[in-house]
Amino acid sequence: MPRYGMVIDLDRCTGCQACAVACKVENNVPFSSPELALEGRTIAWMQVLPFYEGEFPEARTRFMPALCNHCEIPPCVTICPTSATYLSEETGIVAQIYPRCIGCRYCAVACPYTVKFFNWFKPKWPEPMVAGLNPDVSVRPKSVIEKCTFCSHRVVKARERADGEKRKLKDGDYQTACQEVCPAKAITFGDLDDPESRVAALSKSPRAFRFGEDLGTEPKVYYLREGEWDVERER
Amino acid sequence: MSNANDERFNADWFANVLRRDTRLLVAAVPLVILVLSAGFVYWRQFTTGMGVTGLNRPSYWGLYIVNCVFFVGVSAGGILIASLVHALGVKQFRSVARIAELMAISCVVMAVTSLFVNLCWPQRMHFILLYANVSSPILWDMLNVSLYFFISLAYGYFGTRSDLVRLMSIKPRHAWLFRLMALGYTDVSPKALKRDDIILRVMAVAGLLAAVGMHSVTAWILGLTKARPGWFSAIMAPLFIVSAAVSGLALLIVSVVLIRRYLRVRIKDEVIRRLAQILTFLVLALGYFLFAEMLTVFYGKEPAVLEVFETMMHGRYAVFFWGHLLLGLIFPLLLFGVVLAGIPRRWVIIGGLTLLPIVAGIAFVFGLAMPFAKVVGDALPGWVGYAAVWIVGLALLQACANERLGEDTRLGIAAGLVVLGIFAERWNIVLPSLMGHSALPLPGVSYAPSGLELLLVAGIYAMGALVFIVAVYLLPLVESEEDEPPPPVPDRSGIEGPRWTTIEDIKPPRWPEIKPRWTEIKGP
Ligand code: SF4
Ligand code: SF4
Repeated sequence: MPRYGMVIDLDRCTGCQACAVACKVENNVPFSSPELALEGRTIAWMQVLPFYEGEFPEARTRFMPALCNHCEIPPCVTICPTSATYLSEETGIVAQIYPRCIGCRYCAVACPYTVKFFNWFKPKWPEPMVAGLNPDVSVRPKSVIEKCTFCSHRVVKARERADGEKRKLKDGDYQTACQEVCPAKAITFGDLDDPESRVAALSKSPRAFRFGEDLGTEPKVYYLREGEWDVERER
Repeated sequence: MSNANDERFNADWFANVLRRDTRLLVAAVPLVILVLSAGFVYWRQFTTGMGVTGLNRPSYWGLYIVNCVFFVGVSAGGILIASLVHALGVKQFRSVARIAELMAISCVVMAVTSLFVNLCWPQRMHFILLYANVSSPILWDMLNVSLYFFISLAYGYFGTRSDLVRLMSIKPRHAWLFRLMALGYTDVSPKALKRDDIILRVMAVAGLLAAVGMHSVTAWILGLTKARPGWFSAIMAPLFIVSAAVSGLALLIVSVVLIRRYLRVRIKDEVIRRLAQILTFLVLALGYFLFAEMLTVFYGKEPAVLEVFETMMHGRYAVFFWGHLLLGLIFPLLLFGVVLAGIPRRWVIIGGLTLLPIVAGIAFVFGLAMPFAKVVGDALPGWVGYAAVWIVGLALLQACANERLGEDTRLGIAAGLVVLGIFAERWNIVLPSLMGHSALPLPGVSYAPSGLELLLVAGIYAMGALVFIVAVYLLPLVESEEDEPPPPVPDRSGIEGPRWTTIEDIKPPRWPEIKPRWTEIKGP
């Protein structure tokens, strides 16, 4: 059984936000506004977060694309009273059944990475955009939780195509939207259990680390540390 | 003094039942309005979405959950006191047992409602059982709270039914009502009473277990969440139990003092004093628990947990922390000390003034910052602020400890402060962990309840109060006592103000004489 995971190379990431935009379009995520952002009610399955380091002359910003880590031991799944959020045995993806969620927001509280989002209102799009919504992804009603699904609607399509061509699913058949658009090729996605896959190789890199590893959640999103070859003091 | 006081509270056992009391009516009208408007707010929230509240990311939970936790606690505390009487046979508190039960029931109603309005999909509630996830604390909580609710209702029923049967003959015109409430039960033979006693004892133990279980599970909803530093701690459940006992007992004292004042039910001064003594020890225990928690946090210096505590002690809601500490713990303890141990007020003021330079000196030496600088500005040095707080506290203590207020009022004030303190403590438990720490560098959004949210919560309080008022109208508030001589004919001359009495009301209660006939009364 595949176990899908992602590797994000922070050395390559330029903080251009293409992944964040692609994710919104692909997954019918409603728009935000400055007011909503101030209230802390933006929905963004993929976010490029800035980390600031140092004081003025030496200051620098690092970027880190943050999304659901699709934990192997996901606390959000353990506590959901209706099993509306569950760990898929087939793909290792942590998915969400919207019609079953009762909107208790317990999972959002229990996720150590705060990457679950709540629909505080009914989502709205400008009129011309409604026709452009992705038909493969359901539009969520108000008052349910949502989060990154690793574009799991795409795995269905990839599987169908592979079946049609009478072959097995191979590395690169199933890609996420953020991976596709990343101009710096910082995002790699694939089956962590497939020894041939690029993602499995990268995840074993000495630069690889996972976010909040001490929490015991076993995330399936790996980050590759930035190369520190240009540290002024060490030159 | 205390005996004279006891004699004032001599309303006959069933005086409050079905009495047309304008005060209750006047109180009920605004409450009904509040409940109705809260219903409207809930409809608004249901149709528009949770956005009408002040909740956000990362504060996904807010006032509703704080309320739920608080009322679960008060309810559990109420059952604790009632079960002291029925399970352990502490006869002394018999006169407050029924009030404690009523309080427990109305508080569990408020707790369930608070939890309910926090969920967004009432039409999907059955999914919790249909797609049950056994590892979810919310499932445990739901099962346990429902169990507790039914046990406390049954407990209340078995505890009241013999009195209801007595009422049938005292107020024959409304006998049907009491027969309905007693579910058709009419047996008050000594054998039946004895059996009732045994049932009550069993129910009390069951209620106690369910209460402890319910409150622990509620604590575990928070305490098992590893993602939230500050919640994830083994002390959560024990801390919740102690807080529950404290808040339940304190609210019970407040209710007893008020009910006794306004309805003159027969509750002795001695009982209130005893309750206050127990409360004093419980408040000390709570202080110990909090100290143990704080010591671990500040000794361990876990950065995430420190961040949470920093938010709690110096953040936007720091007032809740310091308010709980100063007004909810220390101040009531001193007041209890003055009232219960009889420390003269003179000594308190002398002691307080002697300590004043020391307090100011410590603040000066350690260069402490101005308390509540956000409110009062920081033009003056910090020690002036601490000295001022000290003096204000002393003055308050002097005022509250004034003997002319009467012992029960003073204890009532202290208990009321403890209740408010526990509410603040619940806030301090729930919210700083959500607002104070995030693994991601999220923009610091803090939470403030919206107007609609506050209105909804006020409606929930009003609902609890209405349950209580209806109970006051329908039920005798004090268990009538079998083995005492029949109560004397109440002396109406000393009671001022208009009284709404019915003909039956004026008759002295005659139940002891007609008792043997009761078993024969069948049908109307
Ligand atoms: S990152 Fe959060 S939402 Fe995603 S699987 Fe882990 S706990 Fe759940
Ligand atoms: S908000 Fe929905 S998905 Fe999350 S725990 Fe509650 S029911 Fe489950």
